[in-house]
Amino acid sequence: MGIIKKLPVFVEKFPGGGLVTTSLNYIFNQAQASSVWYLLFGTACCAIELMATGASRYDFDRFGMIFRASPRQSDLIIAAGTITKKMAPRLKLLYDQMAEPRYVIAMGGCTVGGGPFYYDSYAVEKGINHIVPVDVYIPGCPPRPESLFEGCLTLQKKIKKQKIEDWS
Amino acid sequence: MNRDELITYLTEKFKDKIELLDTGRAEPFFLIKRENLVEFCREIKSDLKLEMDYLCNIGAVDTGERFEIVYDVASVENNIRFDFKLVMEYEGAEIDSVREIWPAANWYEREMWELYGINIKNHPNLKRFLLPDDWNQGNPMLKSWDAPDFIRMPEELQ
Amino acid sequence: MTEGLRTEEFQVNMGPHHPSTHGVCRFILTMDGEVIISAEPVIGYLHRALEKICENRTYVQCIPVMDRFEYCTSMSCNQVFALATEKLAGMEVSERAEYLRVIMLELNRIASHLIWYGTTALDLGALTPFLWAFREREDVLDLFEMTCGQRLTYNYIRIGGVARDIPPEFIPKCMEFLDKFDAKVDDYEAILTENPIFVARNKDIGVLTPEMAVAYGVSGPSLRASGVRHDLRKDDPYSIYDRFKFNIPVRHNGDCLDRYYIRIQEMRESAKIVRQAIEQMPKEGDVTKRISANFKPPKGEVYSRIENSRGEMGVYVQSTGDTKKPLRVKMRGGSYNQLQVMPELVKGHKIADVVAIMASLDIIMPEVDR
Repeated sequence: MGIIKKLPVFVEKFPGGGLVTTSLNYIFNQAQASSVWYLLFGTACCAIELMATGASRYDFDRFGMIFRASPRQSDLIIAAGTITKKMAPRLKLLYDQMAEPRYVIAMGGCTVGGGPFYYDSYAVEKGINHIVPVDVYIPGCPPRPESLFEGCLTLQKKIKKQKIEDWS
Repeated sequence: MNRDELITYLTEKFKDKIELLDTGRAEPFFLIKRENLVEFCREIKSDLKLEMDYLCNIGAVDTGERFEIVYDVASVENNIRFDFKLVMEYEGAEIDSVREIWPAANWYEREMWELYGINIKNHPNLKRFLLPDDWNQGNPMLKSWDAPDFIRMPEELQ
Repeated sequence: MTEGLRTEEFQVNMGPHHPSTHGVCRFILTMDGEVIISAEPVIGYLHRALEKICENRTYVQCIPVMDRFEYCTSMSCNQVFALATEKLAGMEVSERAEYLRVIMLELNRIASHLIWYGTTALDLGALTPFLWAFREREDVLDLFEMTCGQRLTYNYIRIGGVARDIPPEFIPKCMEFLDKFDAKVDDYEAILTENPIFVARNKDIGVLTPEMAVAYGVSGPSLRASGVRHDLRKDDPYSIYDRFKFNIPVRHNGDCLDRYYIRIQEMRESAKIVRQAIEQMPKEGDVTKRISANFKPPKGEVYSRIENSRGEMGVYVQSTGDTKKPLRVKMRGGSYNQLQVMPELVKGHKIADVVAIMASLDIIMPEVDR
């Protein structure tokens, strides 16, 4: 991957070089953002809303997002549902198995910061941002399908701002 | 048989081994002694007028001063339901397993052992169940339990 | 040709994350080739300590906590806790509130069975029933959203009544849904019931005998599929269920196909109950009861139970009489016992049958782990 990092700097020195890198950025980002495949990871109540969002009335497929069962074939984990202390190492293992570039959306109050289980619970991880790096947070208990769409579109906007030099 | 017939039948059959804690609100509630547990359960299952073959629930309660174990049983054939409980002190808290009588009691007793620390005699599989495998902070459901990352809801939010 | 070949046992881990959407359940399967010798369920991946939370909340605050106990039938969880507290305090509920409760409970039963239908078909490889079932479920969720504002965890059935009265558009929309629902259930049956692949994957798989079912405490549709005619709505009627006419479907083989038939039939019976409740409901009346924040029921303990879509759901509440928080809340869900009996059912079957059996028993993990 070293040559890819050095290539844009090399190309930009030529006249019209900046145009090439910007167009390449645009093409790669557009391709990536239009087909983000997510891993089916649902533990609790938010999983039912995730399934309902992928079903008939609110359809995920029109954004190019379909579910995959294996982390090797997906780009995104939508962590839907409470993560307990027993489940946290499994989430980290799944995240490590994904190939880069990979993203995480924290869906629902429990993954953002403990949610309704912040007080008086001895077995809940209060938020997942100290287990995996989170890109988008979606509050709600459970969030409506429209909120989930807003979160996914925000992720797509984030993807479209990527640059080739930042790939590592 | 209805509620009053059931109370009369049980008090006559078991005489002093059983005591009626009637709260008057729902199915009858009885108190038995810890030593008579297995024999009592065997009797109510094999008795032809009762046939309590369906175990609904076993729960442990920590009142702050002692343990109480609550059993809820039902009969599918005769459509009878009642509950009974036994009490014991914190030291030497152990009971016999009723798994031979009702196989459903297996997981209920295992959970009681894990969360409350009550020892169950004759249980084949007392292992980690609901808590993580490397849990070393004691029995969390006790009223006197505490831990550094256990945050209680403050009074002003209630 | 295979004489002299020797097989060995090995262990396969069907991990807590698997695409069958029943939640986080892990099985350690000991296999001999493709056949299962023993299965050990490992649970606790969703243990959120709901019972410890309830000990530090007032009675009124416990109702939204109970919502998360079984989120597919959230109205039933509210109902069982409200029943227990009303028994402790000796409260009466008004007529119109009782009818509203029955309508919401039965609509919630339909929604839960639709989730079961969609995910069962999805586990066995069919995608169309999933999309059809969730299309109908969205209509039911529209009705709930109109009433209480939430799609999944309702917090609607409160102590002493319900949270608020239904808006005037509820009844016409509900009748519209019921009018087309029977034809939709016929559609669901048309694609799966006679389908040779579905029947081959479900017939004579996971046979549960009636003695084993009663001994392990199985309840609900799984018990009725084994031939035991036991339904709490008829045997121990709570609320006003004794005023409605409905049938209890019972089957005798105890395999996965029978459990499927019973749930499809239950959807039709629930629609009948909702229709009767809407006709009989009084047109006006109070539906809420003012409960103070320091509500203290007198000292006592009670175990109340209802018939949920997954079996018998019960809650044991003990109150001391002088605090506004319960001393102990123990929750009992139907899936706990059904998961306990699963290792007995999968012996001798293949690994793909584990998925079919788990889907037909309709196990959902928060009831097991709490």
